[in-house]
Amino acid sequence: MDVTDLADGKLAAVLRECAAARFTGVLRVDGQPGGTIHLADGMISACETSGAPGLEVVLLRSRRISVADWDAAFTAAAVSDREMTAELIDRELLGAGEVEALLRTTLADAMFALVSGEVDGWAEASAADCLLPLTPPARGGWLLNEAARRAQVLASFGESAVSARDRVAAAPGTAQATRVLGPGQDELLALADGRRTARDLAFARGRGLYETMLQLTRMRASNVVVIRSFEAAPDGAEDDRTGAGLPRRRKDRPAVPRAAEAGRRGLTAGIRMLRPRSEGSTLLDGT
Amino acid sequence: MVEDALLAEMRALQKKVAGITGTAVASRDGLIVREDTGGVDPDNLAALSATWLALAQRMSNEVGQGTLREAMTRSSGGCVTIYAIGTRAVLVIIGDEGLDTARLHRESRAALDAIRTLIAENSPDGPAYLGHV
Repeated sequence: MDVTDLADGKLAAVLRECAAARFTGVLRVDGQPGGTIHLADGMISACETSGAPGLEVVLLRSRRISVADWDAAFTAAAVSDREMTAELIDRELLGAGEVEALLRTTLADAMFALVSGEVDGWAEASAADCLLPLTPPARGGWLLNEAARRAQVLASFGESAVSARDRVAAAPGTAQATRVLGPGQDELLALADGRRTARDLAFARGRGLYETMLQLTRMRASNVVVIRSFEAAPDGAEDDRTGAGLPRRRKDRPAVPRAAEAGRRGLTAGIRMLRPRSEGSTLLDGT
Repeated sequence: MVEDALLAEMRALQKKVAGITGTAVASRDGLIVREDTGGVDPDNLAALSATWLALAQRMSNEVGQGTLREAMTRSSGGCVTIYAIGTRAVLVIIGDEGLDTARLHRESRAALDAIRTLIAENSPDGPAYLGHV
């Protein structure tokens, strides 16, 4: 797969132009997932996107750093107007080499998420604050080639390839099987409930998007997981109601109060309870 | 069925916006109308959302900032956003750390409108629900 295959190559061309012009500022990319690319002298120092977990998510979800330590470092950096990365290193929460390696990894992952998604458009803007810039920044060409390489690896699995937006569930019978799963696969399997996408699973575990997609792809190729349409995923109401439409008591939850039970007897009953309040609400509608 | 239509609207919003992990519609009295919360206790969520919405709207009024558009909490592990649906219900959105808030603000308008209409069409007081009476 060539770089131009990713996001129709539109973004790749823009990034090449930015590099040639030694552009400093941000590139706001509209699309799915879309995001913001921070550039310094034509090089890429950060990429913020909802498509892949950033360094904070990776460190906190994996419990590599506690929330309290992160918050303390963030506050200290803000008060003293220092770089967050310097604060993390000074507090010995991370080593200098580790910070750079992690930032480079999460940047490559974010760029992969961005360029392998849908790009509707983009706009250049002046430089904006960035909490965790990579120093020195990375070349756009390297990041694009890396994104293309990753896409190529996934594509090599053919129909088993799992995309970022695919919702994944355990294959029927997997729970009973005596299959030995690879490292991290049992955790993925436990979280793959048919509601979460590959992207959601990456955030839930604090692992890279590409790493998660590759792991899921391998699991799909081994018939451990399947892709499920969102419409087929279970919702809470189905779990909670008996065949007669009455609420079902859950073992792991105390019985709901009588008033709340009434609210769970189906939508029509629920809507009927949405009667005007006696005092007549004067609060304004948010729509 | 109306139940399916409401769930379909909630899931359509979840499909469009990256980072939504759960949704729910609750009455202003704190009772669940429809939920798709992905494991979060819907009864507690409904009760808290109703109280939170009332407080957020009073806050907007108190400081003279007009109509409440949404209320959001951000935590180290994600965020929760609520929107008023008409005058008697609330839409709750649960998101992870990467929730695309810009897209949520855009896409939530159409979803709120559709859910509001669905509820109004099935409400005993019909147009009054929408605040037209």
